[in-house]
Amino acid sequence: MLKRVALAVVCASLMPALTSNGALAHGPTRQKVTQTIEINAPADKVWAAVGNFQDMGWTGIVTKTEGTGENGAGAKRSLTVPNGKLEENLLKFNAEAKTYSYELPKADPKVLPVANYSSTITVTPDGDKSKVEWKAAFYRSYGLNDPPPEESDEAAVKAVTGLYEASLANLKKKIEGGS
Amino acid sequence: MSNLAGILARTGALALSFLAPAAAIAEEALITNQPANSLSFVDLGTMKTSAEIRIGGKPAGIALSPDKKLAYITAPDGKELTEVDATSRTVKRRLTIAGGPLGIAVNPISGEVYVAGWYSNQISVVEPGDFTVTTEIAVGLSPSGLAVSPDGKLLLSADRDSNEVSFIDIATRTRTGSVKTGERPFGVTIDADGKRAYTANVASDDVTVIDLASRSATGRVSVGHRPYAVALAGGKGFVTGQGAGTITVFDLATLQQLKTIEACDHPEGIEASGADGAVYAACWGDNVLVKIDPKSLEIRGKASTGDGPRAFGKFLR
Repeated sequence: MLKRVALAVVCASLMPALTSNGALAHGPTRQKVTQTIEINAPADKVWAAVGNFQDMGWTGIVTKTEGTGENGAGAKRSLTVPNGKLEENLLKFNAEAKTYSYELPKADPKVLPVANYSSTITVTPDGDKSKVEWKAAFYRSYGLNDPPPEESDEAAVKAVTGLYEASLANLKKKIEGGS
Repeated sequence: MSNLAGILARTGALALSFLAPAAAIAEEALITNQPANSLSFVDLGTMKTSAEIRIGGKPAGIALSPDKKLAYITAPDGKELTEVDATSRTVKRRLTIAGGPLGIAVNPISGEVYVAGWYSNQISVVEPGDFTVTTEIAVGLSPSGLAVSPDGKLLLSADRDSNEVSFIDIATRTRTGSVKTGERPFGVTIDADGKRAYTANVASDDVTVIDLASRSATGRVSVGHRPYAVALAGGKGFVTGQGAGTITVFDLATLQQLKTIEACDHPEGIEASGADGAVYAACWGDNVLVKIDPKSLEIRGKASTGDGPRAFGKFLR
């Protein structure tokens, strides 16, 4: 799964240069990606792993999380991923409801071919199990009409879906495996 | 919609339109569902969807003819303007507009249709009779929301990536000037008196108040993260905040914030049902239309829509 993400990232690097207008505008259609996974562990234990804006180590993809502001208003983080960095801002954090929302205002298309990306991660108890939902809203990275395939709506959805699937699978393995 | 009381209410409202231009209370909402490629017809009495028809091309913007019998829908991916008969709920005609058609408004006097080209940086003027583009008017970068003054003489275009609003004289098809706004203005709304306009500025999280006579920005209101559009009702402004999931309410006279309503996931298109009527907002993230009481400022109802409702424009009839 990690290979798949890396492949999408390499394809995106073949993008043509943006014009001045394209650097500002975004695609006309916002995309949705929702991925969920059931984990055989109580919600408190799962939240202990994912409920820290300053630690994305549970994904198995982010190799380093550096940030400021902990889990408070105005917190920021810089994620190191295989092909570069993602700079994200915390929007809402609610430990009681086991959910937080964040945004990635702009990204290098070589790293993730999206723009105006925001996302919410939520842990919901289900008896002695838990459900983790990760829900994103974003535009494709290509800001002009008629995007090349590697920066299309489909490419953006594929990249985010791949990232979420791989990360959630890693989380499940990590928690259920007891490591 | 189809009952006699509804017909009488609309006929009466039309006859009195010079006295009370915004007095009609809407009975139906037409909601563009962008990823679902459809248009939902929501009965506002029961808050239930009564029909959903296919539009295609990722529909986003909507405006209604002056008699509200026709709906005009933009599809930026499909590069089309679609005309829908709102009574029979059928697609009548389609017109290709290449440059990312998104924002749309109808002239309340002449019925002319204005379509903003997100990528072409121009407004296409569509003659409603033969349904063809008659003129193209150059504006700023990434024109988004459009609004026409109640007298049908002035067209405003929120030029998102120029951080300004273009003023267009409709009679001469001329862009006569512009006013600077906050960063990335998206929706623009003109009040019922034709005196002020309000822009929702996506990147600076605020609303710019524009005095139309003096063509100047006269006020600024901080609102929820990534504002999309503004509705006006009962002396208040209602602003959808996509990023915050809120609707910020402010007083139009003092420009002070009155309340932040926790609304839904990605509230977007918003419109008031008459001068004092309920306010309706489409929630892209959780596929509902919410109804807000303009006095209590509470959410009073929710209707399910298709996937990804945007309803960018005027969608109530």
